Amino acid sequence: MRRQNLVRLGAVALLAGSLAACGGGDSDDGDGGGGSGGGGAPWILGTTDSVTALDPAGSYDLGSSTLEYNLYQNLLTVPANSSEIVGDAAESCDYDDPQTLTCTLKSGLKFSNGDDLTSSDVKYSFERSIQIQDPNGAAIYLLGSITSTDKDGLVTLDEGAIETPDDTTVVFHLNKPDTTFQYVLTYPGAAAIVDEDVFPADEKLADEEIIGSGPYKLSQYKAGEQAVLEINDQYTGENVGTSEQVFVKYYSEPSALKLAAENGEVDVAWRSLSPTDIADLQNNDAVTVATGKGSEIRYWTWKVDGPVGKQKAIRQAAAQVIDREAIAQDAYDGTVDPLYSIVPPGYAGQKDAFQEKYGDPDPAKAKQILADAGIKTPVDLTVGWTPTHYGPSTEDEANELKRQLDESGLFNVTLKSTEWEQYQTIYKEGAYDLWILGWFPDYPDTDDYLSPFMVDGGFFQNGYQSDEANKLVDEEQGTDDQATREEAFGKLQDLAAEDVPFIPSWVGQNTGVYGAGMEGVEDTLDPAFIFRFWLVSKSS
Amino acid sequence: MSRSGSGSLPRYILQRVLLVIPMIWVILTLVFVVLRVAPGDPVSAALGGKLNADALEQRRQALGFNRPLIEQYWEYLSAVMRLDFGTTFSDNQPVLHVVRDKGGATLSLTLAAFAIALVVGIPLGLLAGRYRDSVADVLIRFFGILSYAAPIFFIGFLLQVYVAQPLGLPTSGMASPITVFTVEPKTHILLIDVFFSGDGTAITDVLKHLLLPAATLGLLICGVFIRLVRVNILQTMQSDYVEAAEARGISPSKVTRKHAFRNALVPVITVVGLQFALLLGGAVLTESTFNWPGLGNELVKYINDRDYGAVQGIITIFAVAVVLISLLVDIVNALVDPRVRY
Amino acid sequence: MRGVLKLIAKPFTDTVGLARWMLVIGVVLTAVFVVCAIFAPWLAPYGFAQSSVDGARFPKVGAPSGTHWFGTDRLFFDVFSRVVWGARTAILVVVLSILFCVVIGVPLGLVSGYFGGWPDRILVLVMDAIFAFPSFLLAIVFSFLLTGIIGGSVIAVALSLTAIYIPQYFRVVRNTTVSAKEATYVEAARAIGATDGVVMRRYLFGNVVQSVPVLATLNAADAILTLAGLGFLGLGIQSTDAAEWGHDLNRALADAGSGVWWTGLYPGLAIVLLVTGLTLVGEGLNETLNPTLRRRRLLPVVLPARTTTSEEVR
Repeated sequence: MRRQNLVRLGAVALLAGSLAACGGGDSDDGDGGGGSGGGGAPWILGTTDSVTALDPAGSYDLGSSTLEYNLYQNLLTVPANSSEIVGDAAESCDYDDPQTLTCTLKSGLKFSNGDDLTSSDVKYSFERSIQIQDPNGAAIYLLGSITSTDKDGLVTLDEGAIETPDDTTVVFHLNKPDTTFQYVLTYPGAAAIVDEDVFPADEKLADEEIIGSGPYKLSQYKAGEQAVLEINDQYTGENVGTSEQVFVKYYSEPSALKLAAENGEVDVAWRSLSPTDIADLQNNDAVTVATGKGSEIRYWTWKVDGPVGKQKAIRQAAAQVIDREAIAQDAYDGTVDPLYSIVPPGYAGQKDAFQEKYGDPDPAKAKQILADAGIKTPVDLTVGWTPTHYGPSTEDEANELKRQLDESGLFNVTLKSTEWEQYQTIYKEGAYDLWILGWFPDYPDTDDYLSPFMVDGGFFQNGYQSDEANKLVDEEQGTDDQATREEAFGKLQDLAAEDVPFIPSWVGQNTGVYGAGMEGVEDTLDPAFIFRFWLVSKSS
Repeated sequence: MSRSGSGSLPRYILQRVLLVIPMIWVILTLVFVVLRVAPGDPVSAALGGKLNADALEQRRQALGFNRPLIEQYWEYLSAVMRLDFGTTFSDNQPVLHVVRDKGGATLSLTLAAFAIALVVGIPLGLLAGRYRDSVADVLIRFFGILSYAAPIFFIGFLLQVYVAQPLGLPTSGMASPITVFTVEPKTHILLIDVFFSGDGTAITDVLKHLLLPAATLGLLICGVFIRLVRVNILQTMQSDYVEAAEARGISPSKVTRKHAFRNALVPVITVVGLQFALLLGGAVLTESTFNWPGLGNELVKYINDRDYGAVQGIITIFAVAVVLISLLVDIVNALVDPRVRY
Repeated sequence: MRGVLKLIAKPFTDTVGLARWMLVIGVVLTAVFVVCAIFAPWLAPYGFAQSSVDGARFPKVGAPSGTHWFGTDRLFFDVFSRVVWGARTAILVVVLSILFCVVIGVPLGLVSGYFGGWPDRILVLVMDAIFAFPSFLLAIVFSFLLTGIIGGSVIAVALSLTAIYIPQYFRVVRNTTVSAKEATYVEAARAIGATDGVVMRRYLFGNVVQSVPVLATLNAADAILTLAGLGFLGLGIQSTDAAEWGHDLNRALADAGSGVWWTGLYPGLAIVLLVTGLTLVGEGLNETLNPTLRRRRLLPVVLPARTTTSEEVR
């Protein structure tokens, strides 16, 4: 049925327009559908990200959320280039106390099929995500403040955790003081609002059947190939798109995406081009390389309870030697920025703690640190990295790190690599003294860069144990006073620089490459990594 | 090849058909064992970089990956027998849909490559065989060897950079997004659907996308054909009946055309079936180079994701296809050449 | 010794004109790579993972020059050195995998064919199934398993290749055994009381092992391509463990789009040349050893002067 609508929509006219547009641009207003959007030409986004599921209950990854941000509404959202969260489906969400969050919905919200969006849909969305327990869904991992987990791993929604006193009010009763919960509400994998009359309560809906209330609606989806989004006539919010249609084309190889961007087969290439490709495209007049602040980080983790890593002086000495500028330049052609704290710049309470403590890379100082601790040099280090999971450039970074540590004369590095699956098993077992990992935040809060790494050895179980760190994390999570939180964040970062359970390496930029006639791409490239289709348009 | 039994054709065919099931079973079991013995599981592949060990273990437990292997194996075999492959873990697609859609793409690519290889390879092979040791023979043989020796991804990339860009040919995918969007999926094989749609622009678009990948893969197979046809021609030319024909005073060119060519091509047809396996292997690399949304490309991705259901589904399809084709080849062989049935 | 020399020289002496030239070219190409493989440490100016000399860093993606004949790559490595060391990896992997195939496949085929019965039938079934399946896909599956368990090492990849080639050795050896065990001399040996072990070792082994070298040559070219394909998909050997052409080519694809041709061209050429060489040798052997292809010589050249010719060979 959907398809027939499309054919009626004047597909032939669109086809002609789009094909011509690939070649150079043509005027095409024959889009027959009386959408609320403007007359922007359809444009094509190319990406190497893959989509796990378009049903929010089954997704916890960037490829899925890229579409979901445009297809669904959350209660709250992150505006472009801002860390201040604002209402999306909700007018506002406010903490009555650190354990109670009350949200008021905007009035007149509708799903793209015409159904009303009410507080009952909101409650249903949370209930079903938790009920489904999809291992790929974020609900069971991020909603700890309204759920409990039994010993078999079964996650259940706490009794009375979500209340809906009326059609436009939702009240969350948290089981512990948690001011990060409001940030979780911006993440579609955990909190996108779905239509209770369409989505089944106990299983995921097929991707091509999903219905949301976002600025766009899905009109075609072929997994791993392409998605077609059309403007949602029912959308009443502020983020109205200008292009009637947006195509998303999926690539498996960055080199193929780069060629497609060069040849104009895609209008925007976003995530993930190789550093070489980006450097090359910067010299290409036909396309523009736009960058915004990023939030994806890489860091090197010490096995703190291992035979080498247990010596703090060794950990500190390595932190003293590492030249992050050189890593960014030599391994990534300057397409990433050096990172001097596990929290990237731009987040509240961020400070370059490693920079403050260690200053410029200095082998002499490092030698002194080791000498003071009475450690014989060179120290033998086994350094681990993994070839595919974090992209091919990880190889370049591992080699650069080895060179830096070896050239200091203080270390004798052996590089070891294995595929991701085996990697994560054996780094926990202590196969490496120092190994690389990456992180991508789920929600835009400083806490998401500290509590997963500093509490009880972090999620990577490196054996780091600090009562002070645990205390500081409890402190910042239990208050909504911004000043108190930022102070705790600062102390945590200083603690990390002193104890060096890990060494931050770099933070990625949010890079998009676009062709002629595209506007607004720069506006959406921010640390939240939300590609806001409504901000982007193609002139016809 | 040495199979006992009397020489009756139906009996031979029956034997071969009965062998199909255990052969597929062997492949399925092998893949099951390899996947489960290999480190990792779908949960840690997807979320190992985010969750701690306890949370991962809870998910594994909840999904049943901790149950005894033999139990999971039995479950899997019975699911295969019911043709129920479930849904992929890593991208939420019914496995049968994946096989249908991506299989269609792989089929279009391999068939087009095959066609190119036949059109180029067979005449060249005939030529080389007919004029053995001539300059043409040497050049053709070198071409055949080179096309086989050059890695697909190397040739593919050279074509993308040095041929596609100057000629304005597309370098990735099966069609431009708008074509995929508008063509109605009747058979789920785009190459066929687009002809049903009768839309000239769309047809050109699809064919343009097909050209380079098919040529790349076709080149690989082409080398094999050249070699095969040439060798068969040489063998036939030296066989007794050709000599006899020559002795009877039939002109050499007529002998070649009427007798040698025809007889040389019969074994080629049967060997062609065996090339199917090579073609599927080559398709993986071609698909990955040209971003072709085919099964091979998907298989690599799903193995990386440890997506057990998807991998097993795809492998099953491959196994069935390969075994059925070899069955077909054997039967055709038996029909053509009674000596095969010992 | 003279017999061996004669055997080796046979393909050359038996061929004429262009066919001989193709064989010679093949042998020379293969020999060049074998020499590179054996003498890599002396032939290559630098180590395969060496990025500086006497503390001075090599240039990054430096164009070919006097100091770096084939330029340098993204990892600051010398491309020429990696191409030379890559020959060692390629040949090591191929030799190892063939060795494994022979060590496992030949006894298995011998025993299976000799004793027969249901174990034989099952083995035949399993091997046929593996053989029928697209070998590259199988290699992918196996290398996932093996590189996962033992890491992306030479051994892991060699074992993956072994897994896909073993059925061929098994089948050939088994089928030869089945027909040879009926031969009179084997019957006779058994009649005088030779045990099964002795029969297999003494009488059958020498007979069946003759087909192995031809098979090995044919597989070698394919193995090189499979190795490169795995490397290209990122499943093979990592750059710090050894130099591998497929892996280097994969990394070089990004360069090629930006006008850096030297990081991809040379490893690519190396693959093409070595595979061409091996294929030429294989085809040449096939053409001379396969009686249905041999050119019939009308003149009975060798008959009258048999003794003298063998003298002349010396």
